Amino acid sequence: MASQPPAQDRKLVSAFVLTATFWLLLTTAVGLLLSFKFTYPDLATNPYLSFGRLRAIHTNGTFYGWASVALTGLALYVAARSSGVGLRYKQLAWAALWSYNLAALLGTITLDLGISNGSQEYREWVWWVAAFFVLGVVLTGVVLVATVMARSEREIYIANWYTIGACIFTTILGITAALPFYQRGLGQVAVQAFYMHNAVGMWFTFLALGVTYYALPKLLNRPIYSYSLGVLGFWTNLVFYPVIGAHHYEFSPLPWWFQTLAIVFSVGMLVPVWAGAGNFWLTMRGRWATVRRSYALPFFFVGIVYYFVGSTQGTIEAFRSLQAIWHLTNFTVGHSHLTMYGFITFIAWGGIYGLLPLATGKRPSVLLVGLHFWLAFLGVTIYVVVLSVAGTVQGITWANGDPFIASVEAAAPYWSGRAISGTMMLLAHIIFAYNVWKMTLAPVPSTTSSSPRSLTPERATS
Amino acid sequence: MDSVTALVVSAAAIYALLAIAMGVIPGSVLSQTPPGPGVAPLDAAAARGRDLYVAEGCSYCHTQQVRPLAQDRVWGRASVAGDFTYSTPQLLGSERTGPDLSNIGTRQPSAVWQSIHLYEPRALVHASIMPAYPWLFVVKDHAAPGDVVVQVPPGYAPAGKVVVATAAEQDLVAYLASLQQHALPGPAR
Repeated sequence: MASQPPAQDRKLVSAFVLTATFWLLLTTAVGLLLSFKFTYPDLATNPYLSFGRLRAIHTNGTFYGWASVALTGLALYVAARSSGVGLRYKQLAWAALWSYNLAALLGTITLDLGISNGSQEYREWVWWVAAFFVLGVVLTGVVLVATVMARSEREIYIANWYTIGACIFTTILGITAALPFYQRGLGQVAVQAFYMHNAVGMWFTFLALGVTYYALPKLLNRPIYSYSLGVLGFWTNLVFYPVIGAHHYEFSPLPWWFQTLAIVFSVGMLVPVWAGAGNFWLTMRGRWATVRRSYALPFFFVGIVYYFVGSTQGTIEAFRSLQAIWHLTNFTVGHSHLTMYGFITFIAWGGIYGLLPLATGKRPSVLLVGLHFWLAFLGVTIYVVVLSVAGTVQGITWANGDPFIASVEAAAPYWSGRAISGTMMLLAHIIFAYNVWKMTLAPVPSTTSSSPRSLTPERATS
Repeated sequence: MDSVTALVVSAAAIYALLAIAMGVIPGSVLSQTPPGPGVAPLDAAAARGRDLYVAEGCSYCHTQQVRPLAQDRVWGRASVAGDFTYSTPQLLGSERTGPDLSNIGTRQPSAVWQSIHLYEPRALVHASIMPAYPWLFVVKDHAAPGDVVVQVPPGYAPAGKVVVATAAEQDLVAYLASLQQHALPGPAR
């Protein structure tokens, strides 16, 4: 492999991470405001700050502004480094960055003006906004494919399977979701079921796993435990994931057998999840001292644990007996944060802390990375626990036949707990933003002396 | 695998087939669902109200789907496919932070109640956490002829003023009134 990435690639990765960080800060500040509205419903009563508009800005912004831009930036870096060549068609990668950010900007503005595709989760952006996002995905895919085609090794490294796959699947998914011909009434419900789970599973999961397949062996300086498990995970994810969407509409008027099929395949999802998580843990086995000393590896460790926990929880909660209680409650919101934050966002952070210093040669302070880690880890863990309890309480209140308002009153203390944990998470993001600045735009310190503690394997192997 | 082309083509072909099987075909078939008894397109005012309901994101907290479960009977009969023939974009929702609205036009037919509740939910339901929508109203010194005045309880609106519903608010109330389930033939469910 080449010793140092070309300066242009360095700039590109930095630009992806910087803009992603902007969207993380903005849209999680929005999320925090939303969490306070549960306790203080008359807080910020204004059409442009109202719950119904900001909720979509929070979800779409964190998905398509933060996580997508951060992970595609890392995917581009991974493709170039694992192929031993510089990025091909760099201008297209820059165009992808502009496209993603334009989509996030226009999406935020239109949703705040009440211009929406209907409250259909993760595709609230109107089609011409979503089109800029899909254009970014296509451009990213072209750059990844061209770069991997120019590789010096014979094999396509498994990380690139996942990231290239993510771009292919999401292009097809974006087109499927946008065409209106088969989306009237209940037909649209079926497409929404397909879309909402695939946007998560065929995009973020594939990108995050791809980045992990590169970064984990790189940071541990040892090969991945099993290449075959990675291949197994790729194909089983591809075949099982698209079928499970209807488990979001259990007990709805969608055909009963269609829902049952989704539940069966949700159990099938245990195969790729356990194969992936097990493969990563076995790669880390016996190197816990290295994990502890590194500042990137603990993020990967949490990300992999929550990938396992969150996805296994998804399988279990798909059973009808449990959906009867948990469906339509806050339990689902806890689950989505366990996966999109505990898994996807932690992997993105691990990738950024692990790989960005290799690209730019600038490192953040160990203390501030640790503070970021603990605030984010405790924050999301408390968040998921309190909302899971809140959802269970809501579901039991309904099953008891209590007046509806009793479920609101019963969940209220947990919503206060969510606002507190959300505050911890936003604090973590502010520290992260400072660390990103240190890794990118900050001037290089004049002294070259560094504390022994910062001599982590990342540096040793770079 | 050593060939990028083979990887790209096989992954794209498999996923395209699955997208057709799990998205396009179910969507096509279910889009043809005939309307159930009494299910009709909305009139112009209710249709505008529905657009406002979508724009304000009401369905993030209010479902429009009654499940065939004992705890859902309070919201009406279980929803059936024919209820949704004219519901595009679909508003089934994914969370029930507030009550289900499938049958709200029958459960709460009062336009006066709906308007006061939209102006300030806590004027009617003390523990409610629903946002207030004062921007759907105009607060004036005196009502003009033809104004729809909303009698907000004292303490919840500026003293000495009148609260007047905008045309958009009246459309939204018309939409809420239109949300009524219709009886199905056969034994009661």
